[in-house]
Amino acid sequence: MIRRAAPWLLIHLAAFTFAREVDSQEPSEFRLEAGYAHVRQSSETDETRESVFDAGLFAVFWRRPAATWTFLASGNLTYGADSVAAAQGVAALSIPWSLDDRLRTETGVAGARFALRSAGRGGNANVFARQHFITSNGGAWAGAGVARTSRDGAGSTSAVQDIGVWGRLGFLYGSGSYAWQQSDDWPLLRTAGAPVDPAADRYVLRDLELVLEARGGPNSIAVSWAARRGLSGTTQRVEAVSASGILQLTDRVAFTASAGRQFADPVRGLPQAELFTASLRLSLGRKPLPVMQRSELTSAVVEERPGPGGELVVRVFAADTMHIEVAGDFSQWLPLALEREEGFWVARVRLQPGSYRVAVRVNYGPWRAPRNLARVRDDYGGEAGLVVVP
Amino acid sequence: MSMHRVVVLTLVALVSLAGVPASTASAQGKVVLPITDAKARTAVERTIAQAAAKGLPVQALLAKAMEGVTKQATGSEIQVAVASLAKRLEQAQTLLAPSPSAAEVVSGANALGVGVPAEMLKRIRASWPRERSVAMPLDVLTELTARKVPVEHAVEQITSLMARGATPAQIAGLGASVQSDVAAGLAPDAALEVRARGVMSLLPSPAAQAVGAPRGPSKP
Repeated sequence: MIRRAAPWLLIHLAAFTFAREVDSQEPSEFRLEAGYAHVRQSSETDETRESVFDAGLFAVFWRRPAATWTFLASGNLTYGADSVAAAQGVAALSIPWSLDDRLRTETGVAGARFALRSAGRGGNANVFARQHFITSNGGAWAGAGVARTSRDGAGSTSAVQDIGVWGRLGFLYGSGSYAWQQSDDWPLLRTAGAPVDPAADRYVLRDLELVLEARGGPNSIAVSWAARRGLSGTTQRVEAVSASGILQLTDRVAFTASAGRQFADPVRGLPQAELFTASLRLSLGRKPLPVMQRSELTSAVVEERPGPGGELVVRVFAADTMHIEVAGDFSQWLPLALEREEGFWVARVRLQPGSYRVAVRVNYGPWRAPRNLARVRDDYGGEAGLVVVP
Repeated sequence: MSMHRVVVLTLVALVSLAGVPASTASAQGKVVLPITDAKARTAVERTIAQAAAKGLPVQALLAKAMEGVTKQATGSEIQVAVASLAKRLEQAQTLLAPSPSAAEVVSGANALGVGVPAEMLKRIRASWPRERSVAMPLDVLTELTARKVPVEHAVEQITSLMARGATPAQIAGLGASVQSDVAAGLAPDAALEVRARGVMSLLPSPAAQAVGAPRGPSKP
């Protein structure tokens, strides 16, 4: 199993060699989260065969963009009064490639410690790598991971390979993924109530997941549907539906909630559960919102072209996954999506001589004047940039 | 395609592709703005119709309303913004009399919107013969004012250039040059001074203009 995943890992570690040199203009992002969870899990040991408990959630998230890569670290702790606890941590690198800026590699390590009534005590360590292909309105990925789990003194190994696609239509985002997992972590599978083949030395699962998300500025709501089927060692067939949402309350505080079923995860060592969570997220540091502040690298210039007028070229330096639009008098304020071009988001609009007001927004956030333009009030409590075409 | 896009595209198509001036369309009540607040929408449409009746360029009012829709402003905010712009358009039309073009009226209203005093519009208008459009000088004045150049200074430089026979493109170039200087760290006021002298040096002197000026009535 590890041999199967090794080529993936080698390819992705080699990505450092091809890392693209880009200027990082984004500050670090640091978030704290605290909340409540109501969890229901199947249990091997309880007479009731079911474990229901309330728990506290605590999480930290740190994102540090650098010149050639972005570093992500997060940790979370779930703690219930009846000694049910789990702690997880993950550190990952996200690296753009110099060969093609639509390619980006993520690779990282993660670990967990748990003391679960349903699935024993122990720990887990895993490594993963994922290759992304990203365009302005969609993308695809393929990845792999391997894990080692210790549960009540017994060791097990697991592996996963997954592929997926995502796309965007206006404010709607959709994705579909397929994962193929194999593991010999039998206790984990049994806690999910799955029928198992006593003669098999490992089980194989196939997961299919569809997600639909609507985003409006920093707010979002998502629903997902997933289906799992045992291919070998188990005949498990199970479906899961879940929903989640984020509501930004102030510049720094957001409310998040989720409800639904999550499948047992052999790679992370976590059991199947039905849960409801609600928490408050506090953003610290210089980037309190996941939307454009005044982008330091937003510009709008008029380039000369044959004939009267010129071409307005709007450039924004922002992450690949952002959705960026420009609007102005020239478009009757109908938003036009920017396209990815040599590491920037770019829009080109041919204009006749005259004066035009222009504004840009990222991820449906506030409309802002490009930084290099003269700024005027827009009569709606905001601003617009002023550009004069000779 | 979102409903918003459909409505806007339909609106633009109706106004422009059908060859019907927006003012006429508005006056006939054919344009339905995508403002959800029916009361505010009616008020905005009434404002646009009244502006059309006065010969004001309603395209600017439609754009202002659409800007509010795109920026998710409330109906009352859009109503106030459109009424305010209509008032500035009317004021600019008067200040740039006797027969300003639609572009000049819009440019004048934009200048008033950033705080250019009414008298300055008259000075700009008086610097060029009636048949020459002052839209570009007004646009540059608006941009310079928005960049915090003192209005008196900006008007002085622009009218000097106009008097020396600068073309609209040269005046527009002045604004672009000031913009790049400001981006490089120069104070807007100082950037204008330097750049205006640069443009001025390319123009014939007033004496040469006087010598080379045609005598007697000009040919039609």
